[in-house]
Amino acid sequence: GGMESLENFVKTAKSGRADFSQVVTAPGRDGQAPRSKTSTGSFEFSRPARFRFDYKKPFEQTIVADGQTLWLYDVDLKQVTSRKQAQVLGSTPAALIASSPDLNALKKDFSLEAIADRDGLQWVQATPKVKDGQLHSVKVGFRGNELAALDILDSFGQRSVISFSKMELNAGVSPDSFQFKAPQGVDVVKQ
Amino acid sequence: CASPQLAPQKEEVSASVWHGRMALQVEDQPSQSFSAGFELRGRAEQGELTLYNPLGGTLAALQWAPGSATLRSGNEVKQFDSIDALVAGATGTAIPVASLFDWLAGSNTPVTGWEADLSQLPQGRLRARRVAPPPAADLRVALDK
Repeated sequence: GGMESLENFVKTAKSGRADFSQVVTAPGRDGQAPRSKTSTGSFEFSRPARFRFDYKKPFEQTIVADGQTLWLYDVDLKQVTSRKQAQVLGSTPAALIASSPDLNALKKDFSLEAIADRDGLQWVQATPKVKDGQLHSVKVGFRGNELAALDILDSFGQRSVISFSKMELNAGVSPDSFQFKAPQGVDVVKQ
Repeated sequence: CASPQLAPQKEEVSASVWHGRMALQVEDQPSQSFSAGFELRGRAEQGELTLYNPLGGTLAALQWAPGSATLRSGNEVKQFDSIDALVAGATGTAIPVASLFDWLAGSNTPVTGWEADLSQLPQGRLRARRVAPPPAADLRVALDK
């Protein structure tokens, strides 16, 4: 089931890369249909604690966690903001798949529960133990042993579903994917 | 000849919705600088500004109406007595949100201490700089296409 796939994934997937498509759906309001936005890009990770989201559409944005610092580069705004990873990582969904070296480390930050299969995937629901209020829960979806989706619900009812495709595990992700260098002429703001 | 254009009365100006990302840089104040996705809805008198983190999670929801201004973030709710106090409470800087509606709609309403550049609005870009009082602040907005 989902729990075995998650345990297997956390143990065997040392690094990996995949394409992703993310659909963010704001809660429907006063009679209007809920509005959703789709973005696509590529994702890479390397245990422990390093991952990278390269958003390509509809706009370019790069998020790099290099193990110490989380960098966010917004190309349109020509700005990089950086903050200590520890401040942010604990309860972010990416931590679930990218950084915890084993299930016990994961259980430090999340309480885990296998839930019913849906859309042909086996799911585990992870609820953050630290109630910082932003993240309500994250469902991790597997197709057999392959990580297929993250279904993230925040405390305002906004839902973000990240679906992965062409996932390649332990296939030599280069370490400099996680070295962030701010491009020329871009302001860097340390928080 | 052009038919007479009836200018909309101020109250009937319909509520608008803007989606995009905004980045604020406050000179020598990294703690007040931030970048976030946003949705701005309503009008200067009554509206909502919701801020999102890059992965799509909601950071804070700001709502205001005549006589009330509320900030919801995480599991706390804070009341303020004005939209400017609300925005300063949420972001650390008194971003002129009421004028943001006008600026984004293309009218360069003057705001004391701020200089707005609407020249890139056709490409969905807005920039506004606070020149006074110090510290200087630089607000950049990129609207989703």
